Amino acid sequence: MPVESNKSIIKRNMFTENQVLRAILGICSSLAVTNNMSNSLVMGLGVTFATALSSLTLSAMRNLIPHRIRMIVQTLVIASWVIVVDIVIRAYLPDVSKQLGPYVGLIITNCIVMGRAEAYAQKNPPLPSFMDGLFAGLGYTMVLLIVSFIRELLGFGTVFGIQVMPESFEVWTIMVMPPAAFFIIGSMIWFITARKIKREQKGGK
Amino acid sequence: MKRGYVYTIVFMLIVSAVFTFFLAGTNALTAERIAENSRLDEMKSVLYAFNLDAEGTNEAIAQRFTQAVQKTETSNLTYYTHIENGETKGYAVPFAGGGLWGTIRGWLAVSPDLAQVQGLVFTDQNETPGLGGRIVERWYTDQFRGVKLDLEGPLTYGVKDGVQLDAITGATQSSNAVLRILNEVRAEVLPLVEVK
Repeated sequence: MPVESNKSIIKRNMFTENQVLRAILGICSSLAVTNNMSNSLVMGLGVTFATALSSLTLSAMRNLIPHRIRMIVQTLVIASWVIVVDIVIRAYLPDVSKQLGPYVGLIITNCIVMGRAEAYAQKNPPLPSFMDGLFAGLGYTMVLLIVSFIRELLGFGTVFGIQVMPESFEVWTIMVMPPAAFFIIGSMIWFITARKIKREQKGGK
Repeated sequence: MKRGYVYTIVFMLIVSAVFTFFLAGTNALTAERIAENSRLDEMKSVLYAFNLDAEGTNEAIAQRFTQAVQKTETSNLTYYTHIENGETKGYAVPFAGGGLWGTIRGWLAVSPDLAQVQGLVFTDQNETPGLGGRIVERWYTDQFRGVKLDLEGPLTYGVKDGVQLDAITGATQSSNAVLRILNEVRAEVLPLVEVK
């Protein structure tokens, strides 16, 4: 199988096959952390880091892993990387660590990390796998930031904690609550799917 | 490629050993730094609870802490005493209790006669980010400064003795958990402080 070009990896992970909007993976954390932009950013970067490094490691050892225990090995590698990231942040960036605290467990269980390992890293060489993991994570981060921008702006009147709406702005409490993420992510999926269908029809398919 | 059971087992053992070693190594290398960070964090929290200046470089905080605060360890409780010019200014007792998702921990600073809150700080909580997680925000913790503890009956939200306590909208469970924990501290922990 020919190696996929970086450009194609980027385009696929960020847009055409975005993990959240097209593959509907990583939805749990997308709903949970997106009422606040800084939390979303930290969570997104955590997942990006974990996915990229896990894909790289798993791809490097892909020819050695016996097929029937590959999932156990994937879990082991993913959990190891996430814990290492957690320890390093706790030692050198204690303030970030305080923010990240409750999310570390959510990174390990994020379906995107294992999804990329299963779908890509076990069949492709290390470098493209690393790129694939990196951009799958960045695609996820992008969606999280869009959702949290809408929720934080309308729910708190702020962007990254900075007040942008006028004082008289009446905040929408619903935006802070979990259901808002369902509405927003649902609308985004609807929009993207509708566009794809339209394109396919125009293409005569 | 078909491989036997022996290979599978040996492979799993080796991979587990390598990653465990890797994790243990990272942990050992950073353990001291992490312990240092958590000591510093505790100092900052206690200083904040006593309403003292908790900002500045790490050295400045450590120095200020050793100057103003004394640790007391009894068989049941470890707490801090704020001493200024030989005079006791207040006590800070640790607390822990169930929140909505996990244990909420922190420090409660009270006046020398244990009748009034000087400050409240949370060091550890897993409440919903953006909702219950807002209990750590300054506007929430600062409103407890000056709340009277020698009232009849438990602490409640609302106005009492001219001090207003607000709960957090959308986070009723976490807000109530905080008051429940404080009421427990008032009834069970404060009597253990040896008032001088």
